[in-house]
Amino acid sequence: MTWRAALLLAAGALTLPLWPSPFAGVLVMTGGVLLLVLVDRMRAVPPTALSVEREGDRTVRLGGTATVALRLGNGSGRTLRAQVRDAWVPSAGARPDVPPERIVTVPPGDTLVLPTRLTPTRRGDRPAVSLTIRSYGPMRLAFRQRSGRPATPPWTLRVLPRFDSRRHLPEKLARLRIIDGTQVTRGRGQGTEFDTLREYVVGDDIRSIDWRASARQADVLVRTWRPERDRRLVCVLDTGRTSAVRVGDEPRLDTSIDAALLLTALAARAGDRVDLLAADTAIRATVTGSGRPALLPRLVHALAPLQPALVETDFELIAGEILRRQRQRSLVVLFTALEAGALGEGLLPVLPRLAARHRVVIAAIHDPVLTTMTSTTPARAADAYAAAAGWRALAERDRVRAALTRHGVTVVDAPAGALATRLADTYLRLKARAQL
Amino acid sequence: MTAVPQATARPRTAAGPPGPAPRRRRWHRLAIPLGLVAALIATTLVTHALDRPDPDDRGYLSPVETGEHGGSRLADSLRQRGLTVRRETDARAALSTARTGPPATLFVPAADLLRSETLARLTRLPVGTRLVLVDPSVRVLLATGVPVDLTDRRWATKVVGPQTDGAPCPLDELGPVRQAAAQRQRYEPDAEVDADLCFSAGLARLPGAVETVLVGADDPFRNDRFGEQDNQAFATALLGVHARIVWLDLAGPEPPLPARSSPPPVADSPTTPEAGAETMPPDGNGQGGRPGTPPDGSADGPPRGSAGGPPPNPLWGAFPLWFWAILVQLALALLLAALWRARRLGPPAPEPLPVAVRSAETALGRARLYQRAGARGPAGRTLRSAALARLLPWLNLPADAPQDRVATAVAARTGGEPEQIEELLYGDDPATDEDLVTLARSLDTVTRAVVASPPERSQPVPSPRTDPTEGGPR
Repeated sequence: MTWRAALLLAAGALTLPLWPSPFAGVLVMTGGVLLLVLVDRMRAVPPTALSVEREGDRTVRLGGTATVALRLGNGSGRTLRAQVRDAWVPSAGARPDVPPERIVTVPPGDTLVLPTRLTPTRRGDRPAVSLTIRSYGPMRLAFRQRSGRPATPPWTLRVLPRFDSRRHLPEKLARLRIIDGTQVTRGRGQGTEFDTLREYVVGDDIRSIDWRASARQADVLVRTWRPERDRRLVCVLDTGRTSAVRVGDEPRLDTSIDAALLLTALAARAGDRVDLLAADTAIRATVTGSGRPALLPRLVHALAPLQPALVETDFELIAGEILRRQRQRSLVVLFTALEAGALGEGLLPVLPRLAARHRVVIAAIHDPVLTTMTSTTPARAADAYAAAAGWRALAERDRVRAALTRHGVTVVDAPAGALATRLADTYLRLKARAQL
Repeated sequence: MTAVPQATARPRTAAGPPGPAPRRRRWHRLAIPLGLVAALIATTLVTHALDRPDPDDRGYLSPVETGEHGGSRLADSLRQRGLTVRRETDARAALSTARTGPPATLFVPAADLLRSETLARLTRLPVGTRLVLVDPSVRVLLATGVPVDLTDRRWATKVVGPQTDGAPCPLDELGPVRQAAAQRQRYEPDAEVDADLCFSAGLARLPGAVETVLVGADDPFRNDRFGEQDNQAFATALLGVHARIVWLDLAGPEPPLPARSSPPPVADSPTTPEAGAETMPPDGNGQGGRPGTPPDGSADGPPRGSAGGPPPNPLWGAFPLWFWAILVQLALALLLAALWRARRLGPPAPEPLPVAVRSAETALGRARLYQRAGARGPAGRTLRSAALARLLPWLNLPADAPQDRVATAVAARTGGEPEQIEELLYGDDPATDEDLVTLARSLDTVTRAVVASPPERSQPVPSPRTDPTEGGPR
């Protein structure tokens, strides 16, 4: 029954002074209203006669808006009057075009399209949870509603990482081209791999003139060089407990994903082969860089549903997996946190095996709160204690860093906003020095 | 109210695949504790109401009733003191008995059963008579013209001492009473009346031609509590001021005024002592039967019949019938509205939430631990070693440089006394929180000053770990 039934009964109560026997009137009116409610309920379209399906976007970038439509088909011979609530998880940011309070009307045999706009607030897979349809009778005195009828059509919207560091990509690519020697004619391209011979132009480094080739030709020829191609790069994302903590406004894992995407985009342009591995106590995602053209989209899709797990990362597993997959020498970039407990007990024992075959870079996000704690002038006793605790945490990080450095590991420790670009710089320098 | 919608919603959803067990438990979760509390309250109220005697109960404070609510022990006690107890079952007979002879005490345990005219005559007794009323209602007070107001009433009787607001009791005969269960209904005399209050205003005496004593609790007179504390002394002293006690023991409401055909009171009075009253034998061996065996059945019949059932609530007659019908129907409408609101449009959508722990949580927690433990020594040492770790590379000094050399180098940059700097960098642990703050500020100032000043000879090596490490300055 609805508010109309209650209102009908309440309005009928006002006529009671006119009845010869008021209590008989109560019985008659209550019975009448209940009868009307029953009749109305019988005449409502049964939920089993409805058909629902979805259509619309499957993916959206974080910050964008997707539209998913619900097609509501009325398979009965009666007109459907219904409230439709299509519930998504709260972080999907669903805003239905038709609010659930409004009653929609679908003629018999017709189909109604109910679009929902979704502006997700978090990365990952955002599912539709439940669909509820409340079918009213023609007088709207009663309704039929059954949970699970019709069944909720499944739909999952994949929210891709925002990839904010995209804006650094043109600058990094320009530097890559300088290193490549393809753009600037003056100065030889940096690198160790012989590329081509070409004619000398004024401004070229005279040290790069190939005298032997010049002797055979009429012109003066210079050698050009280029960095090595087809190197291997492995991005390893630690999705364990240390990746769950918040740095700024998002989990540490999201910053790592952002940096990994920039590095992958850059390395793919530089002609390197990029693999990706995400793991905590189990392998969460793997991407192998065989199909080069679609690498970045594939990578984004693989990274999007990753969520931090509140477990200690098994570095033994990660190292074994890398050593099994990568036979050639590769650049292994490990995205994790510089934390004494997690790295000292997990990573340091397996690091010698890893560093013996591969070049290892550890990308760590450092914490703006620690910087604030140690750099502000203390005003109260609490500040002084905070400064001491902050310095102690930094000293622990330094110890981990020193231990890692002893194994020939490069540590990139940067604030959350700068990690992606710092890491790209490191990659470019290693490439220029042919240390890959 | 809340349980009803749940119960109706359950059959509708029971067909759905998600298990109905949690639904049932949710209903129980609300109903069981609320039901327990309601049952407790109801049991207490019903028990209290049943346990408490009413003035129209059979044998209530009757001198011949030996049950819990009777007054036989009080009557015996009075008789043992050599006083005469005259039991009267008719109001008119009691009044005439009290008028004849020396001043007497008229004890009326159930004044509410008397008619207003009879009550008015109570105060026109001979001078010196004492009238004792037990827990009279407002109607009784108005009818008798006693200028006293009822104030707060306790749910149960309290045992109190004879003082009222610290003032001793002015009734001399109650001198030996220390504690009595006398405070239930409290009294407040009108402003201009000079009334005596005792037992925390649970007893009021109004002097006058007829000395009226109001007792707010019936407990001191009842058989079951007569022996507790000083209840016996209280009751016997109160009633025993005169040698003669007239005990008005009414079996039910006083019959209405007889019709014109009934004999006038003058003619009635000589017959009443024989028919309606009996002088109790001194040993108290009363017949124990119902005192209300009708002396003249014609007058006693109708009121007895009306007293058999509870009187109808006057509220029913105060409003027309359709008013109650409207109330019922509105309640039904409210029930419908509750049923409508009880069915929700789908369940809430659950979602696992991301971790909300900040990355520096452990460092912040350690800072709070330091502060709570008052760990000034470790905190000061950490601050000093951190400052040295920053200063030494900047000053181009090795990590194991002697103290005086470091102090001299720092003093040369900042322009302070080397002894002071040495004390700052290598001194004792701070003793108080203020010292720690001072130390932290001084270290901060010195470090900033050194870093800001231009390097002396060569570019300083900021950190020995720069080579393999990338990353930002901190």
